[in-house]
Amino acid sequence: MIGRLVLVVLVVLGAPLLGALLNGADRILTARMQGRIGPPLLQPFYDLLKLFRKEPLVLNRIQIGYVYLHLAFMLMTIVLITLGQDMLLALFTHAFSTLSLVIGGMSVRSPYSRIGSQRKIMQMLAYEPVLILLVVGIYLRTGSFMAGAVAHLDAPLITSLPLVFLAFLVALEIKLEKSPFDVATSHHAHQELVKGITIEYAGPYLGIIELTHFYETFFLLALVTAFFVTHVWLGVLVAMAVYGAAILVDNVCARMRTTWMVRYMWTVPVALAVCNIIWLYLQPHVGR
Amino acid sequence: MLTPANYVLALIGVPLVGGVLACAVPWRGVRTVVVCLTATLTALVGVLAVIAGPFSITCGAWSDPTALALELLLIGVIVAFAWEARAWLIVLLALVQLGLCLTEQFSAGAHLLATPTFILDTLSSILVIIVCVIGALIVVYATGYMREHAAHAPRTTAGDRRFFLVLVGFLGVMNGLVLANNLRWLAVFWESTTLCSFLLIGHEGTAEARANALRALLINAFGGVALSLAALLAAHRGGITSLDGIMSAQALVPMALLCIAAMTKSAQFPFQSWLLGAMVAPTPVSALLHSATMVKAGSYLILRLAPAFAGTRLLDVVALAGGFTFAIAAALAVSQSNAKRVLAYSTISNLGLIVACAGIATPLAYAAAIMILCYHAASKGLLFLCVGAIEQKIGSRDIEDMGSLLYTMPLTTVITLTGMLTMLMPPFGMLMSKLMAIEAAIEAPFVLLLVIAGSALTVFFWAKWIGRMQTVSYHPHYPRETMPFSMSSVLVVLCALVAGGGVASILVYRTLIEPMALHTFATASAHTIAALHAAGNLLSWPVFVFPLLAALAWLWTIARFNPAHVRLPYLAGENYEEKELSYAFLSIKDQPAVAWTTSLYFKHTLNELRITPWANLIAWLLVLSLLGVLGM
Amino acid sequence: MAFSIHSMLAKSPWFVHYNCNSCNGCDIELLACLTPLYDLERFGVLHVGNPKHADILIVTGSVNHRNARVLKNIYAQLPAPHVVVALGVCGSSGGVFAGAYNILGGVDKVIPVDVFVPGCPPRPEAIIDGLVRAVGILRDKSAGAATVPAATPTLTVTPSPAPQEPHVA
Repeated sequence: MIGRLVLVVLVVLGAPLLGALLNGADRILTARMQGRIGPPLLQPFYDLLKLFRKEPLVLNRIQIGYVYLHLAFMLMTIVLITLGQDMLLALFTHAFSTLSLVIGGMSVRSPYSRIGSQRKIMQMLAYEPVLILLVVGIYLRTGSFMAGAVAHLDAPLITSLPLVFLAFLVALEIKLEKSPFDVATSHHAHQELVKGITIEYAGPYLGIIELTHFYETFFLLALVTAFFVTHVWLGVLVAMAVYGAAILVDNVCARMRTTWMVRYMWTVPVALAVCNIIWLYLQPHVGR
Repeated sequence: MLTPANYVLALIGVPLVGGVLACAVPWRGVRTVVVCLTATLTALVGVLAVIAGPFSITCGAWSDPTALALELLLIGVIVAFAWEARAWLIVLLALVQLGLCLTEQFSAGAHLLATPTFILDTLSSILVIIVCVIGALIVVYATGYMREHAAHAPRTTAGDRRFFLVLVGFLGVMNGLVLANNLRWLAVFWESTTLCSFLLIGHEGTAEARANALRALLINAFGGVALSLAALLAAHRGGITSLDGIMSAQALVPMALLCIAAMTKSAQFPFQSWLLGAMVAPTPVSALLHSATMVKAGSYLILRLAPAFAGTRLLDVVALAGGFTFAIAAALAVSQSNAKRVLAYSTISNLGLIVACAGIATPLAYAAAIMILCYHAASKGLLFLCVGAIEQKIGSRDIEDMGSLLYTMPLTTVITLTGMLTMLMPPFGMLMSKLMAIEAAIEAPFVLLLVIAGSALTVFFWAKWIGRMQTVSYHPHYPRETMPFSMSSVLVVLCALVAGGGVASILVYRTLIEPMALHTFATASAHTIAALHAAGNLLSWPVFVFPLLAALAWLWTIARFNPAHVRLPYLAGENYEEKELSYAFLSIKDQPAVAWTTSLYFKHTLNELRITPWANLIAWLLVLSLLGVLGM
Repeated sequence: MAFSIHSMLAKSPWFVHYNCNSCNGCDIELLACLTPLYDLERFGVLHVGNPKHADILIVTGSVNHRNARVLKNIYAQLPAPHVVVALGVCGSSGGVFAGAYNILGGVDKVIPVDVFVPGCPPRPEAIIDGLVRAVGILRDKSAGAATVPAATPTLTVTPSPAPQEPHVA
């Protein structure tokens, strides 16, 4: 019990540090790909601390609540996964974390914010089926919705869920706000929709959104690692490689339209994932 | 204490008598008192009966002829209404039903099984509670609503007296419907609810209302024929006269026909059009009949029968039909901007999910279906009432017109937002039950895909609406909202019920629904039982402290809020500031204009007129494949 | 420099850029600072799209009657602590347009300016130098120290005389 509590505290405190370092690495890597030197590795920390020193400008009092919920549900997701609890619940809390931001963005009378929110919700529509199929795939493999069950596998998930993994990588690109899917609020292109969904959040509230993004980066890469659970170090290496690849794709791709994104996600990655799920159903020990 | 027979009599009789009294009273004030008293009494009887339950009663020899007489009477009334409206197809269907009833009466062999006429078990208890408590609240709300409504209703509107006769009486027949085990009594109450729905949809008497009422009557008469045919075939093939008889005999043919009847009542595709048309009725009617109770009768019927047929191919088709309705109705809800139509499609969609879960027929699916049934009834009833109040105030049902409502009608808007959040936010019951539905749908891969697609689309249309509703400028102070006490009190009570019950969803699951599913599926395989336990085994509930902390942090921030931090939105610096905090910008020719972004509806991609025929075609194919069992 | 929360403002200056009435010369030089050759992001500088996320408002061009209102609005949407930099001679004093019938003058006619960066256009090195001064002021403002607004630049050229009424023969 105490051990688990310590683990939770460690993850809750450590995840944003790791997430921030990853984001710092992202900025350096992006700069190098563009022939620049880029900011220091610790730049995301500076940005975050600075934002908490700034004046908390708002348009109304409603939007503040949703930014808190954004962080709270993300923390909840992280803790649920850390404790090895129900993955589907974690998925829904994660979705609601994003949804909080969407609703918060819609609660202000700002056209940029609204358009950003609508694009964000299109993103959710695009990737959510893939994430649910991911959880279904893991269930079919482990026979349980508990995230903890993954740890007891004898062979890594990647051996039975290769196509789901590929589909998840595309979803990851959306979740990390990378091109060609960075339509709602681009993490690097600050001019796109003038930051869209986050535009009306200033100072500490923007800081909370950044903080949540650090948690999310950690969470998503932890999911990548989970595919290699029997070989954790290999998993970490793959996660780093995946992150690098995401940055590469970000730098070589143009931004695409939201409708294209939904059409693409509901065809190629979903089809891949479904195909993989069918494989699992065909195995004799799976299902009813 | 009352005897079980008295309880049944009271559950059916109290609202009926109350309705007749309300109709008899010519003064509005007295009628309001009568209606409120009846509602209170009904709620009381409902709760007491459920506490006294479970029980079953077997009526004497008088029961069958009485039921037949009532059924003939009802068919006669339907024929009379249809004749008057020159709706020959309905007349034809009613006559076919008449023929079926009479054939059954005079040709059936000896009735072998003596079974209870009325049963109050856990499933019907849940329905009785929904009908008596939520129904009573809606009826009380209706007293305030109809007073306002009368002020600007069209001249053709039927009187309030008939309205309350049908609305209050409906509670009684709905109770009868969920208690009935005997097929003939079931048919009597089934037809009565059809008739109530017809009368209430046509309440305003406009051409549109009359046409939609007839459409509802037509489709439900079709369902009535299926029901009577089921009764006839059940009696012919095994002397079965009751629902539990069908279950114990595993009679597939009546089951298939009852499923079709249930799909008409629950407005599943391809029978959905009547429920969309039913939205012309005054809002309390939509809340009571067309979301909280009457449309649940269909899914209730499938839920009651399905456990006995677990594992049959028939149920696979039913599950597929339900899943299809869930996904396609959610997709069409995305394209709607009329709030009541969104609610109607969302209702159809959720009923589809219940049917899908009932069709999967594992303990977990059964539990999920019951959870959705309860939580949907409460939340959707509340939402309809809220939309009614909003419509009375702003004179529009369009979601795009609902911005700034937080300032003009704060109470209603906060309650509406709570209602909508309970539809999709963890830890409220709807989300938890949807989670269980997905976990259960693993057993049926095709349904699973439909459920996943439907869930994603569901989030989409709710988020749009929530976003629009709470768009608000900064106001230092909010005015008090004026609303009749009967309306505001019901909204507050129902909202508290929805929120409280929603938060306690896991507790409800563990203490009530899990044992019930275990009891119903006594012989289920070990791994489905394990799945049932696993779904409720939410050891991690303390993590919900995070959203709670967020809420507290929000309150704390608001308490120390400094108005100096309020700014205008970023409009490229072109903000137009004539008076304080204007949200306009300076447009062409220095004219102020308001930046306005509509929500996404995809009216072209998800064109209702284009998609519906194809969806109906697929759904008809599924219905026809249900009929395949007739050859057996 | 000792670690303090205020130094974070110096380490992460995000600027928003508003073109008042500029010929785009200064704007192009400003963007040149972000290119690989100068790479302002080395110092944590980000070019953000809106004032609500910015610490520094960089204004190019002279202020006229129409854009003064827009400039004020953008200034009002900056979260404190913030710094205003006037870029180029036009932003500093109105430049060659000073005295024209539609020109109010430099940015400081409308909002308080902390740093003036002269030049037509200023070289990227000058812009970077101006930004370094700006982050120092930002840190001081965050620490609550009193900062003095920059002295208003004086015109060193005399505006051309107002045109005479043409002599009618």
